[in-house]
Amino acid sequence: MNLLAPIALGLASLAIPLVVLYMLRSRRRRVEVPSTLLWEQVGAPVSSAVPWQKLRLTPLLLLQLLVLAALVFTLARPFYSQDTLLGPHTVMVFDVSGSMAMAGRLERAKERALTMVADISEANLVSVVEAGAQPRVLAGLSRDPDLVIAAITSLQATGGNGDLSAAIRLGRGLATPDRPTSLLIFSDGGTDPLPEEPVAGARQVRIDDFGPNVGVSAWSIEPSTEGSLRAFLQLSNYGGDAKSVAAEVAVNGLPAGVVTLELPGLGEARQTIPVDAGPGDVVTVQLLDTEDSLSLDDESVLVVGGGPERKVGLSSGSPFLAALIEAAPGFTGGGEGEPELLVVDGGASATIDRPAWVIATETPPAGITPTELVRNTVVTWQRPGEPILDGVDLSQVAVAEAQVVDAPGWLPLVRAGDVPLVLLGEVEGQRVAYFTFDISKSNLPVQIGFPILGARLLDWLAGAGAGTVSSETAGTPIALSAPAGTVPRVTLPDASTRDLPPEAASFADTGLPGLYRVDYLKADGTSSPGPMAVRTFVSDESAGASRQIATADAPGAPQEAAQLIREWAPWFIGLVLLLMAIEWWVGHQRPGLRRKEAMA
Amino acid sequence: MLLPVELRGRLERLSLVARRRVRAQWAGRHGSQHKGESLDFADYREYVPGDDFRRIDHNLWARLGVLLVRRFEAEEELPVRVVLDRSRSMGFYSKHDTARVLAGMVAYLGLAGGDRVQVYSIPGPEGRAWAAGPAGRHLSSWPALERWLEEIEPVGGAELSPPVRRLAGEGVNRGSLVLVSDLMSPDWQSALDGLLVTSGGVVLHVLGQEELEPTLAGDLRLADAESGREVPVSTSEETMRKYRAALEAFAAGAAGRARRAGLDYVLVPAGPEAADQVLAALAGAEAVA
Repeated sequence: MNLLAPIALGLASLAIPLVVLYMLRSRRRRVEVPSTLLWEQVGAPVSSAVPWQKLRLTPLLLLQLLVLAALVFTLARPFYSQDTLLGPHTVMVFDVSGSMAMAGRLERAKERALTMVADISEANLVSVVEAGAQPRVLAGLSRDPDLVIAAITSLQATGGNGDLSAAIRLGRGLATPDRPTSLLIFSDGGTDPLPEEPVAGARQVRIDDFGPNVGVSAWSIEPSTEGSLRAFLQLSNYGGDAKSVAAEVAVNGLPAGVVTLELPGLGEARQTIPVDAGPGDVVTVQLLDTEDSLSLDDESVLVVGGGPERKVGLSSGSPFLAALIEAAPGFTGGGEGEPELLVVDGGASATIDRPAWVIATETPPAGITPTELVRNTVVTWQRPGEPILDGVDLSQVAVAEAQVVDAPGWLPLVRAGDVPLVLLGEVEGQRVAYFTFDISKSNLPVQIGFPILGARLLDWLAGAGAGTVSSETAGTPIALSAPAGTVPRVTLPDASTRDLPPEAASFADTGLPGLYRVDYLKADGTSSPGPMAVRTFVSDESAGASRQIATADAPGAPQEAAQLIREWAPWFIGLVLLLMAIEWWVGHQRPGLRRKEAMA
Repeated sequence: MLLPVELRGRLERLSLVARRRVRAQWAGRHGSQHKGESLDFADYREYVPGDDFRRIDHNLWARLGVLLVRRFEAEEELPVRVVLDRSRSMGFYSKHDTARVLAGMVAYLGLAGGDRVQVYSIPGPEGRAWAAGPAGRHLSSWPALERWLEEIEPVGGAELSPPVRRLAGEGVNRGSLVLVSDLMSPDWQSALDGLLVTSGGVVLHVLGQEELEPTLAGDLRLADAESGREVPVSTSEETMRKYRAALEAFAAGAAGRARRAGLDYVLVPAGPEAADQVLAALAGAEAVA
């Protein structure tokens, strides 16, 4: 047993005055009585000339010395040490990919982490990083066990891939300069080696529980030659035993049939199923009675046709733009009713009452002020990493004439020198894309990337519209664009809802596979439908592959295992209280014994 | 007023009873060691010149030829001496007030019965062993006696035995002696033993409530009010148990010695109820009737 504060042992010297007090005669109060005749037969005569008396070892003195000893020992903070994975600063990285949902891997990882968290002392800092599709820090540099426990408890397996590399980088970013930082990776290791292996300064807490699993590995729908719809279903058996698995198909939540597939061990089975559904219908397939170790891949959902086509109103007769609108998937230039989007090609000005693509109007939308014109210019810059421009090369675009505008608050996508050519922004809560040049006076329409650029612009403009459907893997955020005066509400696949702030641009908690619906709530209590999003389980995770991640000690880090300090203080405090209780009992002349004597 | 009117009325209907024959100078209503003039025949003796020849039994003279004189029981007054302890220890816990009332009560009882009453206080003033108060044989003496009792205050400390022995054995007509005291004196045993020479009486042992059930607490130096002697005492259950045992032994010893001397003994808690308690105790002991 070691002591954290051995200097406190010096307080043991308090025993000296304690003993001295026992050797001093007590100063008695003088009380005059009629006679001491009877009292002389009671009290022992004491000589008052000598202030000292012979020390008598009474039970009270011994108990008080024991109390003092226990108290001094408590203040000296005795402790013992244990090996622990917790270091001065430990970053716990939790893999929440789909494979961690197999056989309770994540729950086991949480249990082990919570066991460690119980050992947190003031000497330990703990951070918690969730390694989902988009890693995030759930608790940073915390000494508060409750906070860390809450962060760990909130972890849930997702249906997507976990970006473990990004999570490790994020964890390293939490490193503190004044204390060594170590990473604890709670993961099954996945299938492929990480780019940074061996991971320095890290240890893997490998969780590789495994169980049989059958999952939906493919679920799509396409029109048949007869004009009806056919759903394509593929099931995969990740266990060694052949299985017969029933799958129920449902349209908009109503059962539409059950099919049974015979699956060989470690094999697949496919079937085409006719489905009576139309655009916008939600078609779900659900495996029945699989009782396997991974339930997230037992269901898959899709929306037929990606939703109804949206009408785009075009203000000019530009054949390029008309062809673009017709070619863009999910959009049409004709049809009945009000257009949901506007393409304003030139003219005096544009009335912005819905999402609009405005092209070089004489009076630009609010927020854009033209100052002069520039002629014969070429594209010199396009915003890197911008999804709208992904794969679109505009370097060959030449423009005969463009407006030079002052547009604070607008996002330039493409520029010619300092002159912005394409801007994104909002006017009165509506998305607006503004081209400062007439496309008919440029070679943009003949560029290979023009249809792609146009389709993406329409997608972006329609992003907040009703009925749009995006289908991505689980964990991919859902883009939001709440109209002015509304609050986005997301309904998750498990029917729970989340109300988001009006300014929320995306919803990232999409780890659970299934259909997400967005509604925009107005102040008067009504709501308007927003986009839908399908988030699918990543079939790679269904196999539940596991492996050991190669790790290495951090350069310069001590080789010995970290030690956990456990103090005996609670036990000693209990002992002190017990001894004090006994001392009180003895000091008050053992009332229980006295009662017995009286009864005798 | 030392004694309430109501108490006086009750006392006037009672009188002291002598357990032994008394020797007194004056005729009274108590049986005497002398032969006297009562109607109770005692015995005969031979006639000697000077005898009242009205007492010659003529029948016996005729039958025996010897002059014999009839003798009758004499009835004499009962000398009652009331000794009031006024030492400083009596000044605590209302003991002195109670003792004065009890002394007055006994004196009034004697006066009402026609007995010769003499009241003493010990110690006396100016270092004397005792002081004699007014004497009387009739209730007409009560006002002076009452006044004398009311003026007495506790004073000094003295040995109890010498004055008690002196007063008990004083004179030839010793009569009855009533000692009103807390007996809180080192020589209390000797004092009580000295009462053997009396013709009875009673010891009224007056103790305060604080002496009967002490409420002292803590570590104390108890100072004797008379001698100044200090005794260290640490109160505890054990200490109190020992005290109560000493008190019981004290009271039992006093009662035993009083009875051995032919006196009744009454332990009287100081307080307003003391007179009634003493009257009841004396009636129970047939010391008053």
